[in-house]
Formats: sequence, structure tokens, C-alpha cells
Amino acid sequence: MQRVKFIDRMAQGKLSRRDMLQSAGAFGVGLIALPRLARAQGGPLTCLEWGGYDAEEYVGAYVSKHGALPDFSIFSGEEEALAKVRAGFAADVMHPCNYSVSRFVNAGLVTEIDTSKLSNWADVFPALQTAEGVVQDGKVVMAPADWGNSSIAYRSDLIDPAFVADPTWAIFYDEAYAGKVSMLDNEVAFQIGAMVGGMPYDEAYKLSGAALEEAAKTWGAKAVNVSRFLWNDPSEVQQAMASGEIVAAYAWNDLVKNLKAEGIPVEYAKPKEGMFTWFCGLTMLNSGKADPALAYDFIDAWLSPETGKYLIESSGYGHANMKSFEVADPAEVAAMGITDPEAMMGSSILFRTPTDEVQVEHNRVWGDIKALKM
Amino acid sequence: MSSASARTGLSLLSPAFLVMAATLLAPVVALIVMSFWTQSGFEIDRTFTLANYARLVEPGEGTVWYGIRFPLAYPVPAVLMVKSLAMSLVATICVIGVAWPMAYFLAFRVTRYKAMWMILLTIPFWTSYLLRVFSWKIVLGFNGAINSGLQWLGLIKEPLEFLLYNPLAVMITLAHSWIAFSVLPIYVSLEKIDRTLLEAASDLGDSRWKRFRRITLPLSMPGTIAATLLVFIPTVGDYVTPTLVGGPGGTMIGSLVQQLFLRQDNAPLGAAISIVMMLIIAALVGLFLWLIGYRRIRRRIG
Repeated sequence: MQRVKFIDRMAQGKLSRRDMLQSAGAFGVGLIALPRLARAQGGPLTCLEWGGYDAEEYVGAYVSKHGALPDFSIFSGEEEALAKVRAGFAADVMHPCNYSVSRFVNAGLVTEIDTSKLSNWADVFPALQTAEGVVQDGKVVMAPADWGNSSIAYRSDLIDPAFVADPTWAIFYDEAYAGKVSMLDNEVAFQIGAMVGGMPYDEAYKLSGAALEEAAKTWGAKAVNVSRFLWNDPSEVQQAMASGEIVAAYAWNDLVKNLKAEGIPVEYAKPKEGMFTWFCGLTMLNSGKADPALAYDFIDAWLSPETGKYLIESSGYGHANMKSFEVADPAEVAAMGITDPEAMMGSSILFRTPTDEVQVEHNRVWGDIKALKM
Repeated sequence: MSSASARTGLSLLSPAFLVMAATLLAPVVALIVMSFWTQSGFEIDRTFTLANYARLVEPGEGTVWYGIRFPLAYPVPAVLMVKSLAMSLVATICVIGVAWPMAYFLAFRVTRYKAMWMILLTIPFWTSYLLRVFSWKIVLGFNGAINSGLQWLGLIKEPLEFLLYNPLAVMITLAHSWIAFSVLPIYVSLEKIDRTLLEAASDLGDSRWKRFRRITLPLSMPGTIAATLLVFIPTVGDYVTPTLVGGPGGTMIGSLVQQLFLRQDNAPLGAAISIVMMLIIAALVGLFLWLIGYRRIRRRIG
């Protein structure tokens, strides 16, 4: 009886879309139809994020306003994310860094951020508001959010004491450490190598032509051969470090923080060639399908002091909002050492942006070096 | 064939043909077209050129890889091609070596609960390919199943490091992933063998080994060949397995194509390499079939 009635009503066009969906849901069809319904209302927010940042704690204000997390797509390197967007992936927000955002700008994928729509913008460190990468051609293209370091994390119980006395990036190119260290799977591997060879970073990041081939052959090949594996995934290197499979790795602050929390004796080195600083932020892409207001809510949530507090306390990264350091646990803030991004950039090496041509050349040379490993 | 049955045949074929055209033919054509373009930075230049193919064979200083000289200006694709073919070949031989006895057991020794045995065989396939590859990472890992097992037995003190992140790991994983695919075709051709032929051979005085060599093995060839191709062709281009368990030393040609498309902004060169790879595999398969006299086998089996 029920079924006959249903068909009759459907034939007469008396069924509402809700009724149809409810019935279709009973047959599992609803699973396919429901996301389309949502898209018809402006589309969900899609964010390209680093692994680990796809958590509610980083965008609490967004979640409490909109009831759910946006859709995340995880990437392990900016070039990978760039290729994905250029291949047609419709993302609204991307999380690039100071040295990589111009790649997205040059690819014509970025829309200007209207900072007046961000309630937390006024509390962002002034040095970050105007830093290279944030403002391009007078337009704000990235809202700075998080900053931190790249350096060497090591197991203080397993590593040679000589390294602890005189920490150096040279261990990633030293046969004595073969199979015991892990470098990031990135072209910085031979840039840092060139620095170990005596070249300043300001030259190494823009190496090209024959000099690049030379650096790649000498330092890139060594990095590939000495590393147990080249890491892409932070959790992979973290597990390897925890088990003692590797004794040192290229790492960001959070690895040290996470492993210390597990009670594993890990320290963060200050290599003599210098440690690196980066800052990353959120960029609005023009490929997205969602209402830009959602993107602004997402970015504003990232810039809030609550997010900063969580970022500082859980990962040891710095936050762009000055107020974050006031609300965070003072002990954690003290453990960070430097809490002013400007002072941090002054005392370490800030990653720089190469030109597109150089970036592509570095990508290619790095890919070839890895492929020829025996 | 009458025209009516031809029509029926065509209409039966057409859904499959349409799906193939949309999902296989169209992408391949796109790939071929793209391989004649060039890319610089974000821009694709659509003028016709053979530059990508020329780049693959352009002579130069080259490199030496495992004692083989590659006198090319850009030796990476050639080296990886040879390496991928060699790795797939080893994996395929291992697969056939393991799958053949399994299929034989299933066809000749199992008499009851055959269906249950078949289901048992497919159990690994109830999980996704990615999970199976990842589980090998855990098995072979530094404190994985093999290492902790051997340490517990006291056979080794330090964990073995040569298990993971090298070509060996890739070959083990590939072999395991593809075994069930090869057991089934071999099983089918063994199952089809007329048992009276075996009895006749015995009656006429063949020993068990001779009977196997002269009857069972030749009659199983169609399935064995199908299984070989079924494993060899897809594994050459695999890129998930090398990415997860290969480390830099375990890179294969598929990884390079992925790199060219997604990291190096050179999709046309990636397309050209894919096309060349397809042609090389096709040529190798043709050579293989000719060498084993596939035509003769088909005629004999009918």
C-alpha cells in the first residue's frame, strides 16, 4: 500500500525533494545525492592543508560557527599542492609558506585578501603583516599564521657525542651516518649540502645551471645515499626517530615537542651553518567553489589567539597573533626561547623564494638525483 | 556468421567497447597528443614537436649504472626503464614460481570444498591494495614483524636494515600483491586438462615426471602465459609500491612519470615517456610470445 501511494504521489509531482531524498536514503541512494544538495547551496569550503593541521583545534571558531570542519585535502609539499590545483582540484584555501606563496601567485591562482574582513588581523605581528611573501605588488596574498624552524632533531642517547658538541648539517652527507639519518625529500637537501661546503644560503637557494648540477652531484647524491629514507610524511619520520631506526633527522619544532611528550630523549640542534626559519599562512585561491565568506571565517579562525595558544602548547610553533603568547601557558612560551618572529628571523636563516625557473630546475635536478640512486 | 548473430555479437560487445573507448582510448589519445607538445613553466606550448622523444635518445656524457653505460644526455628515463623491467621480471618469476604449485594443488589435489579454497585464496584481496602495501612496510620495518621475530629468537642483535627501502622490498611487495591474480588463470587451464590424457600417458609407460613435462605443463601454458602477462605488464608501471616501500633506491619508471607531471612541470615529457614505455612493453610481450611459440601452442590446444 505504502509503495503504491509513493509512486502515485511521485507521478503526480506531489513529492517534495525532502521526501524524495528520505526515501532514496532508505535505498542508499541518498549517500550519492546528498553532497550534491550541499553544493547547490554554494559549495563546502575545501582547504589544502599540511598533514596534522586538519584538526578542529586549529579552527575552533570556524567549527563553532559553521558546525563542522571544512573539507581537507592533505599535501606533503607545496609543489605537489600547486600541481593538484593546476590540474583542476577546486580548493578555496591553501596553506603555503613565505618562500612558496609566490609560486601560486605567479600561476595566477591567488585572490587578494581583504584584511578588513579579518577581525584578528590587527593583532598580527607588524613585521609579519608586511613581510616578503605576505604582500606582493601591494596586495596581501597570504595571511601569516604559523612560524617555526627547520633544523636537526637528534636522539641525545644514541648519537655520537661529537655531534652534540659541535652540531652540523654535515651529518646528512657523512658516510659514517649512512642509514642512520633522514633528510626531508626536498631540494633543500642539496642547498644545505652546498652550505656545508661553504656556500652562503643566499647563493645556495638560487643555484642554477652548471653550478646547480655540480652541487646536486656532490651533495644531493650524498644526501640520497646517506639517508635511510627521504621523508615526506611527518609521522613517518617521527616513528622512525621514536624507534631508534634513525638517530637524527631534518625536522620542524613539532617533532621534538611530540617525541619529548612521549618521554623520548630528543633534542633540537643549533647547527653551526645555521638553523632555518619559515613562516606560513593562508592564501585564498580563485579555484574554489565556496562562498568567500567561509574562507574568511576559516582564515580568521586560524589567526585567533585560541588557535595560537593550541599551536604553541601542542607543537612548539610560533603563532602570528601577538595575543597568543599572552594566553598560552607561560612555561610553554618560555620553552620556545624566542617568541618574536622578527627576532627569530634575525638570529637564523629565513627561507627565500627562488624564481619560478630556478624552482622548476631544482625540482628536476632533485628528482633526477633520487632516480639515479643505486 | 549470419548478419543477425553478428548484430547480436556487436550489441553484446558495444557496452564494453564504449567503456573502453571512454576510459582507455580517449586518455591514451590525449597522452599521445600531449607528448608532441612542450611545457615551460606554467605554459603549455601546443606547436607540434618531436623534442620530447628526441630528448630521450639524445646522446651525451651519460652515466654508468650497475656497470651498464647509458651514453645519453638525459639518462634517467632509460635507467629507470631498464630497472623497472628487471624488477618486474624478477617479481613475475617469483609470482609464477609460487602461484603455479598453488594452482596445481588446487586443480589436482583438492577434491572437496574447492569453493572454500578459492575464497581462502582471495582473502588478501578483501583489503585495499594500499593497505596490503602498507602492511609490508610494517612487516619489513626496522622494528617490524621479521626483525622483532628474529630478535626474539636471538638470531640477530641489531635489526636488519636491508629489508625495507630498497628494490628488494619493492619486489617482495609486488610479488605478494599479484599472486592471487596469477593463481586463477593457471588453475583454470590446469582444471580443464582432460584427466584421461594423463591416464593414457601412464598406461603407455610415461613416468610421473615425463607425464608432467609432456602433458600437464604444455596444456597449462595458456593460463601460465596469461598469468605472466597479467603480472608483468601492470607491475612495470606501478608507482604506489615504490613510493611506500622503495625509498629513493627503489624508484621505478612510474615514479618518474608522476614526478614529471606533478613536480617538474613537464607533463609533455611525462607523456612521451609513458608512450615509449607502452611501446617497449608491447614489443617485449610480442617477443616473449614469439619466443615461446604461442601460435603453435594455440594451434595444438585448439
